[in-house]
Parts: sequence; structure tokens; C-alpha cells
Amino acid sequence: MTAFSYHRPTTLPEAWRLLAAHPGAVLLAGGTDLLVRIRAREIRPPAVVSLRRIPVLAGATVERGGGLRIGAATPVADLLRHPAVVRRYPLLAQALRVMASPQIRNVATLGGNLCNASPCADTAPPLLAYEARVVLERARGRRELPLETFFLGPGETARRPGEILTAVRLPAPPPGARVLFHKQRRVHLDLALASVAVLLQFRGSTCRRARIAAGSVGPTPLRLREVERLIEGRVVTPELAAQAGALAARSVSPIDDLRATAAWRRTIVEVRLRRAILELAGLSPEGGAS
Amino acid sequence: MTPRKTGRRSAPGPRVSARGRRPESGAAARASGSRPAASAPGTTPVRFVVNGAEAEVAARPSDRLLDILRGPLGLTGTKEGCGAGECGACTVLVDGRPVNACLFPALEADGRAVTTIEGLGGPAGELSDVQRAFVECGAIQCGFCSPGMILAATALLAEHPDPTDGQIRDALVGNLCRCTGYVQIVEAVRAAAARRRTAGGAR
Repeated sequence: MTAFSYHRPTTLPEAWRLLAAHPGAVLLAGGTDLLVRIRAREIRPPAVVSLRRIPVLAGATVERGGGLRIGAATPVADLLRHPAVVRRYPLLAQALRVMASPQIRNVATLGGNLCNASPCADTAPPLLAYEARVVLERARGRRELPLETFFLGPGETARRPGEILTAVRLPAPPPGARVLFHKQRRVHLDLALASVAVLLQFRGSTCRRARIAAGSVGPTPLRLREVERLIEGRVVTPELAAQAGALAARSVSPIDDLRATAAWRRTIVEVRLRRAILELAGLSPEGGAS
Repeated sequence: MTPRKTGRRSAPGPRVSARGRRPESGAAARASGSRPAASAPGTTPVRFVVNGAEAEVAARPSDRLLDILRGPLGLTGTKEGCGAGECGACTVLVDGRPVNACLFPALEADGRAVTTIEGLGGPAGELSDVQRAFVECGAIQCGFCSPGMILAATALLAEHPDPTDGQIRDALVGNLCRCTGYVQIVEAVRAAAARRRTAGGAR
């Protein structure tokens, strides 16, 4: 086992001091991924700085203007017990419910899931659809950026050394939005082989607003803006849903790996997005009015 | 996984104290004569409550909760299967909630209350109602997954006294049974819940 020092600060300034004092230190929130990676010697950090005892990083609060601020080290299970998450951000709740296992949801955190920057991170597509922003803080300074620009590649984020992801901020949810998250997997504990998060807002049968994101089909979780533009302002028909699915399949860039082929992932995105749009529009998946 | 075990043998001796109800394995007694935690280089004392008794263990930064439970505390009812959070054999309750002890840093157990399978029964070794239901429903085959299954089920019933089959399956989705005795396991949880309801909620 590689030797490292383990630190449990109780305030952010203390955490920043520790990061400065231990170059190469890694941050631990839940630790459910980090501990496995350290033990497998994929990474050999000289120091681990735990964020689990910093109160300001835990919990979620409704902000003025109706948005929600989620502390980055809030465990997933706590979010699922939070009325604002369950009632106002159902797309996020749908994804949190199918994430990993109860044991892992009790420990794994929202910020940890994002900072790992896995293309298959379950929380990412819904947060992209809600146009979430991430708050990065260092000893002197704070910046906020769209989640979309936070992901740079597999395992890579815009977080700089010395910065801590302190919060995820969600704008007020679009009123009356209909949402659907689909995670394609074989057995429950699978990572997503492909996932789609769809948020549609309608006026009559016209789609006023579309927010669509996909996971496991590119180097980062992807927001599918071209597909959104295709649908917005138009009456949703089976033909439009099929076009949207086909465009999504062309827009993503999956890879072949041991879990699935790229071609299969494209097909899943195409079919699942088409069906999601039809379902949210109140049309049956076969194409007739329901 | 062998490096961990040899490392454990050469590791500095833990100090374990138990007040109140003792861990039932007698581990506390076995370990109580070893060197005090504070003197062990590279270790930090972890003070926590294990199965209702206060315990103190000298833990290294790389130790997992699983390591200090099975090692210095001798609570070997908690099993190590995959060591990566996939199988749930190491499930224990931390402050009442199920977690994978193989993914939980030992130093984070400081100040927490941990329940292992050894802590579920009564003072004279009687089985808990969930344990009894597992035995009676034939929900135990090789037994390796049983401690984790039973703790996950115990946590479920604490929160949902009358769970649907769907809720039972969702609660146990993080626990693999390689003997594939899932039908009996779900029946056992259902039976424990039903018995608890007829007994007026008594454990």
C-alpha cells in the first residue's frame, strides 16, 4: 500500500492551507471511487484531504430566485431525501435513484461524481439539462462556470490545483417542464452504457424549450444543442422525434470498449431519445396519438 | 489482497477499549493488552462506537473501515468480497445507514456509530428478527453474503416497516448472492416485516 498522509479539515481555509502545504494532494469527498483507485495504485497521491467534515459543503438550500445550491460534498442519498430536489428537479432525482447501490449512494457525493469527470457520470446529463453551474473556490478567489465547460475530457475538469468545487447551482426549473432520464444498462449496478436526459417544455403541442444531454457517448457528458434547436418552436410529431433521434446519433462520439460498441451506443441514443420525446409529448412510442 | 494481510500482521498494535456492551466476538478483550494507539507511528486513533460499545483503534491512512473491523476489532462477520463496492458483502451500518466498509476510510469512522452483523442480536446471542427470518426462509446458502444482506435489510425495515417487493429489491440491489438465493432472501425480508407488524413494531 502506498503511504500517504490523511487530513480532515473542518473549514475551507484549513483545506486550502493543506492543499498548499501538500503539493499533489487529492481531495476526497465520499471516497467511493478514490479509495479503490489508490488501492489499485492507479494514483499514488502523497496526501489525501478529506472534505467530509466541512459543514458548508454539505446540504442543499433554495436560493433567492428559486434556484437550488447544492453543497458539493452532499451525499447522493441526502439529495434524494431533500424535498426541493425530488419535487422541483425530478430529472436529477430520476438519475440519482438509479445511481450505483444504496450503500454507495449513502456515501458518494454530487461533487465527487462531477470531479471524477467520467463520461458515464449519472448526475451529469440531468445537471446539463438544468443548465447547472459549478462554483470553484480557492484561498483568494471564487469563480463560477457552466457545468458544460467544466468537463474537459475523461477524468479531466477545469478545476485548477488549489481549487475546491464547493457547490453546484441549479437555476429555477422551467415551470411545467416534462422530464425523462433513461440509463441503458444490463444489470442494476452497471455503469451507464449510454444515457439520455430530456427536458421539454410545451405550449400546446409546440415544444417551447428543449434541454437534452447524453452520457457515455463521448469523452465528456454531452449537451446536444443541435437537437435542442431542431425541436424548439416546433410541433412534436413522430417524424420530428425520429429526426431528433437520428441527429443525436450523428452528434455523439462514442467509443468501442469492452462494455459496448460505438455503433450500439449510437443506436441506443437514437432510439431512447426518440421514444423519450414521444412520451413527453404524449404520443405513443409507435407514433400514434395516445 | 495478501499484501494487506501481511501488512496488518506487522502493523503497530491497536488499542481497543470497550465500555458498555462489548463487541460479541471478544475482540476487545484480545486486543486490549497491546500497545496504546498514540505511540504507533503513522497511525491515528479512531474513536467510535461499534455495536454499542466505545472502541479505539490505531488506524493508518490507507486502512478501510473493513480493515479495522476485521483486524484489530476481530469482527470477522463483515466479509470482504470484491473490495470495490460491487458485491455488498462488507455492508455495515454507519449511523444507521448501510455503507460498503471496503470503500469507507477508517479515519472517517471517527465519532460515528457502526453496527456490524455481530451487533444485531440480543445480549445472550439471540438472533434478531431479520436474522431469524433468513434462517427460517432458507435465505442462507453458503452464507458469505448473509451479513451484508441482513444489515441492508435491517436498514430498509428501519425506514420502511412495510416495504413493497420493489422496495426490498431496490434496497438489496447492492448485495450480490452468488448462490442466487434471491427469492428466499426477498421472502425473508417480507416475513420479518410482517412479523414485526403483528408484534406491534417490537424488534
